[in-house]
Amino acid sequence: MAIHLNRRTMLALAGAGAVSLATPLAAQDTALRLAFIPQENPEKLLGDIEAITGWLASEIDVPVEGFVTIDHAAAVEALRNGDADISFMGALPFVLAEAEIGAVPLLSEVYRDAPSYTGRIFVRRDSGIAGLADLRGRDIAFADPISESGYLYPLAEFVEAGLIDGPGAAEAFFGRVFFAGGYQQAMQAMAEGLVDAAGASQYADLLLTPQQQAQVTWIAESPPIPSHVVIARPGLDAEVQDRFTNAMLQLNEPENRDKLRYLYGPDGYVRADSAAYGGVRDMARRYGLLE
Amino acid sequence: MIQKFLGAFIAALASALVLSGPVAATPAKEAPWLPEAAAYRLTLFLGNLEPLPWDDVGTAWAEPYRGSEFSVGALAWLDGSSDIGPAPLLDAITREDRQAVFAEATRLIARRIDEELDRAVMADDPARAQQAVRTARELYRAFADGIAAADPDASRRIGLAWLELNSSTGSAGVLGTGDTPANRETMEAARGVISGYLAENYLVDDFTPRRTLSALPETFVLSGRTIEVPPSLPPGSDMFDQDPLPRLVLNFEEQGIDETDLPLVAYGDMLFDSAQIFGNPAQDLGVACSTCHNRSDVNQRLFIPGASHQPGAIDVDGAFFNPIFNDRRDDPIDIPSLRGLRFTGPYGRDGRFASLRDFTRNVIVNEFGGDEPTPFMLDALLAYMLEFDFLPNSMLTPDGQLTEAAPEAAQRGEAIFNTPFAALGDRSCASCHVPDTNFLDRQAHDIGSVASAYDGARTGAMDTPTLLGTAYTAPYFHDGSLPTLAAVVDWFDESKALGLTAAERADLTAYLETVGAADEPYEAFDAENTAFRLAFSELTTFASTLNTLLPQRDAEHILLLTDTVAADLSADASTMSNLAARPEVYALAERLAEVGAAVRGEDWVAAEASWTAFKSEADAIEERAF
Repeated sequence: MAIHLNRRTMLALAGAGAVSLATPLAAQDTALRLAFIPQENPEKLLGDIEAITGWLASEIDVPVEGFVTIDHAAAVEALRNGDADISFMGALPFVLAEAEIGAVPLLSEVYRDAPSYTGRIFVRRDSGIAGLADLRGRDIAFADPISESGYLYPLAEFVEAGLIDGPGAAEAFFGRVFFAGGYQQAMQAMAEGLVDAAGASQYADLLLTPQQQAQVTWIAESPPIPSHVVIARPGLDAEVQDRFTNAMLQLNEPENRDKLRYLYGPDGYVRADSAAYGGVRDMARRYGLLE
Repeated sequence: MIQKFLGAFIAALASALVLSGPVAATPAKEAPWLPEAAAYRLTLFLGNLEPLPWDDVGTAWAEPYRGSEFSVGALAWLDGSSDIGPAPLLDAITREDRQAVFAEATRLIARRIDEELDRAVMADDPARAQQAVRTARELYRAFADGIAAADPDASRRIGLAWLELNSSTGSAGVLGTGDTPANRETMEAARGVISGYLAENYLVDDFTPRRTLSALPETFVLSGRTIEVPPSLPPGSDMFDQDPLPRLVLNFEEQGIDETDLPLVAYGDMLFDSAQIFGNPAQDLGVACSTCHNRSDVNQRLFIPGASHQPGAIDVDGAFFNPIFNDRRDDPIDIPSLRGLRFTGPYGRDGRFASLRDFTRNVIVNEFGGDEPTPFMLDALLAYMLEFDFLPNSMLTPDGQLTEAAPEAAQRGEAIFNTPFAALGDRSCASCHVPDTNFLDRQAHDIGSVASAYDGARTGAMDTPTLLGTAYTAPYFHDGSLPTLAAVVDWFDESKALGLTAAERADLTAYLETVGAADEPYEAFDAENTAFRLAFSELTTFASTLNTLLPQRDAEHILLLTDTVAADLSADASTMSNLAARPEVYALAERLAEVGAAVRGEDWVAAEASWTAFKSEADAIEERAF
């Protein structure tokens, strides 16, 4: 969904109760500040934030504020500056934030009983493309260069298959490499025949119409990728971290599950296992994103 | 009847799903529209209705579209996000100048796309550039189906330009890690492709007069060629089945008879769920009998702007579905339940059809523009619909008396229900809603619920509706003007001066709610009995009629079946919780399509072979969890 974070919108939204788009300027010392990254209409996200922060505040007995950042990078910046205490984050931005500012993982999202998912290479069923090698000289769309399931992991499958020497050599194998801006855009480009393949999350074909879903298939799948994560800035009070984490785990209870829709719609949360993100760190090093 | 719905699972995951062009059997949640793009699409849709609902056009721009996730309408949104003023458009709407409204609205959207493209190119960081590209692209969606239909090459060229544009915005990385700079030259070139096409087709000073409003590009219209843009519903439309899904009570099923042993009924069940029996636009939009009558009952959420005045209501003789049948009257009706259909004739809210067969033909041919159904099709549809039973209700005896399970208030209300009132001509509620004849009298009465069509008109009589199952079919009256059964009681009390006390009204309401209740009103889904399992079972039941039709070499009805069921089976696979098993279902759907292809080629041996393979593969899938 498009976002309009221009001046007028920011002013309009800043008046929305405890929710503000702008950097919180005078948050109370005791308030917990959550950074959200828009994946859809920011107006709806603001409503969602209001609902979830209100519930969290009642659960942990600390005022909770939420605000929307423009992207992952801005959320990490907010954590570094202390403008945010906690943020929702992809696995790759997390390991980069961990390396840069010492961000701490608290919770991992669960989808279909697993705190992990995969990246896949999707093609049209009628394309005649049966394997990765068939994509030599063909065009591919990925989601975003800072996306584990929408770029790094799917591309690594070509490296594993010996078709690409390394992450920097993709252009030599493919015809064109596009970054479409998201899973849905990459998948649509493939389904509509603008490109021959798409690299995206294993669930990305569900973003197509039912008719399109029947027309696409996948030819390669990455190893499991740890799911998106909720992270804290370094130095956030340990007791506050615990209370927040315990409250979030209450969302797994049947009576609270309806609130998960305010939080990117996972099936639940588990405590994050930092070691589980080792593979992402390794992947980031392969791509030269980590030392 | 197939369940054509994608559950909350898909709705949650597919929040960005974009549908354009024809939507076949299974509707999917549509991505939210930007307010001004939504208003534009609504304007095109409403602008093709006759008479043109000008108030609705104004509302389309002033207020958020129904179900919008934006709290403001297009005008307020534009005020906050754009420097483009809507004054010329508003002036055209005020003047009720259809062509001018089309021209101004089209130019407004094109200018908005250019405005966002300007912002993308001028942005000093990748995140803001990508944000502007996303917005521009979502606005372009307002034109996309017209371009794709008229000019596929341009559509592809522009599609690649969007990819190129987004790719060249660069990346901010994370705290500088992984950042890549924007490629301004490529951005400008890609933007030029998009803006050039807009200038030539959507920013022209004088548009060719449009007989039908659509997003077709001006150069195509000027060429004199004609093409049908695939029909689409405007933003705010809702064709999802209601949730929770009504429970279907079929007489034969309750008696333990297998539908596969009733091929005529099974074929009628298929037709009830087939959009193929209707004409366009209903057919391409996937509208079937079951779209409005979910599981023989109602669909309380169905809404089409310009055709529905509220959810669960529709004007089937308006301009949209079959223009030749347009009665030019804005008279949508609340969708009636079909439960107990064999007991509820005559048919139609005003009881204008004594024959269910005539009524059904009228729906297919006149209301939805379908071809004349064959006698076999009508026989089958009737055979199926006549199996619709009322919901079992343990608080009611078969002859309509309350049982001991009924609450006390309802018992008191029953007495009021049976009390004659002088204001009702010494009749009681029970005089028309006769308890031992399923709470109806098969008569039409003018109770004063219909506004007079003209001076001296005697057109207000409506068929007495049953009260059975009504606890789940709100709102009430032919136009759905009363939201609750309590409101119905109040309406009678006030309009007929019955003089009921508050306690009596409450008791009478309790009685209606008890009579209208059911032991199990909704389908109960769980991890085992999933929506897909139900759909799969129904679709394979439909297909079982091939056991009868293939030996008869009945090509016409075989093809109607295979075209319907193969597409639905494939589309419904997207509702499977076992995603890994989807390819098997796609293959099964293809197997059924092979039956159809062989029949088209008059290769009956191949058709029989594919049908045998289908049955074997379906059994194998059936044995596994979905």
